[in-house]
Amino acid sequence: MADKGDQAKVATPMDTDAAKDPNQVGGSGEAEPTRDMTELIKDGKNAKSIVCERCNSKILLPGVAEFVTKEIFLPHMKKKSEQQKATDGENLSEHWVVSDMMTFENVGFTNTVGTAKYLICADCEVGPVGWHDVTDKTKYFIALDRVQHK
Amino acid sequence: MDEDDVLTTLKILIIGESGVGKSSLLLRFTDDTFDPEQAATIGVDFKVKTLSVDGNKAKLAIWDTAGQERFRTLTPSYYRGAQGVILVYDVSSQVTFDRLGQWLNELDTYSTKADIIKMLVGNKIDKEKREVSREQGLKFARKHSCLFIECSAKTRDGVQCAFEELVEKIIQTPGLWENDTRQRGFGVGSNQGQPNEGACSGYCSLI
Repeated sequence: MADKGDQAKVATPMDTDAAKDPNQVGGSGEAEPTRDMTELIKDGKNAKSIVCERCNSKILLPGVAEFVTKEIFLPHMKKKSEQQKATDGENLSEHWVVSDMMTFENVGFTNTVGTAKYLICADCEVGPVGWHDVTDKTKYFIALDRVQHK
Repeated sequence: MDEDDVLTTLKILIIGESGVGKSSLLLRFTDDTFDPEQAATIGVDFKVKTLSVDGNKAKLAIWDTAGQERFRTLTPSYYRGAQGVILVYDVSSQVTFDRLGQWLNELDTYSTKADIIKMLVGNKIDKEKREVSREQGLKFARKHSCLFIECSAKTRDGVQCAFEELVEKIIQTPGLWENDTRQRGFGVGSNQGQPNEGACSGYCSLI
């Protein structure tokens, strides 16, 4: 279990309420998406299936998730150095969001850290691929950088 | 899209002693090799999985006790609303088999559905040292009205089967799930006017 210092480190960069988060911008705006989204979005939803980049497990079907930009801190999915701590990570800003956990085809939820649950692949358990704040049951985020689109 | 037709969403629990391999039952049903190093540091709380059984797509919310079994008694909320339970023991460990009765007691105490479907799973049949015979498992399952299967989460033998059989049995017990179906999840009525022949094997009378 993470000690207090670790928890704070994980929890503080994440705003608990996405609706009030000044960082959040819908689709376009100051936080310009760094990739070409035209292929990935159709009618405001994800145009392609979202799958695990490691084992291809299907996470979301096409047409069920909205694209949002929001700064969310996620621990690294891969070990980048020997010195890397479990709490090291990066801020990611491009996400798919769904409002009901049963929208997912396959996904795993970690135990709660602070108020956060990390989303992982349900099959190979690689992750975190996304994030959920337990105080807001209507938002489940999947980071575009952590998954494949097929 | 046919893929979107979810018949029902079900809550499934996995219970049993520590170390019997409950968590590994939750891993995927394919030939992908699982990396044991992956062991999540935070620990997995629950999973959402989609399963097709005879053309019926069911979404499962699967809850693993995630180590809480060490405290002997799980919180009642863990059991609340569950339609199915997978009761796991290790065929190479008699003690895990002997404790099954206590797990069933706990289930009877806290389960909110009288006709919850139970499946007994004898795990780790890949191990050479066997302490619990198939017959013993079968006998226990019959006595307590459980489905029964032996499997190996390591070789994947029987694991897929265990979930499929459990879901099949739940679907055949309409009182268990009909009232719970969310309007969003119930895909049969909104089938875009196209009867799905594949979905009809055996379950038509229920629908």
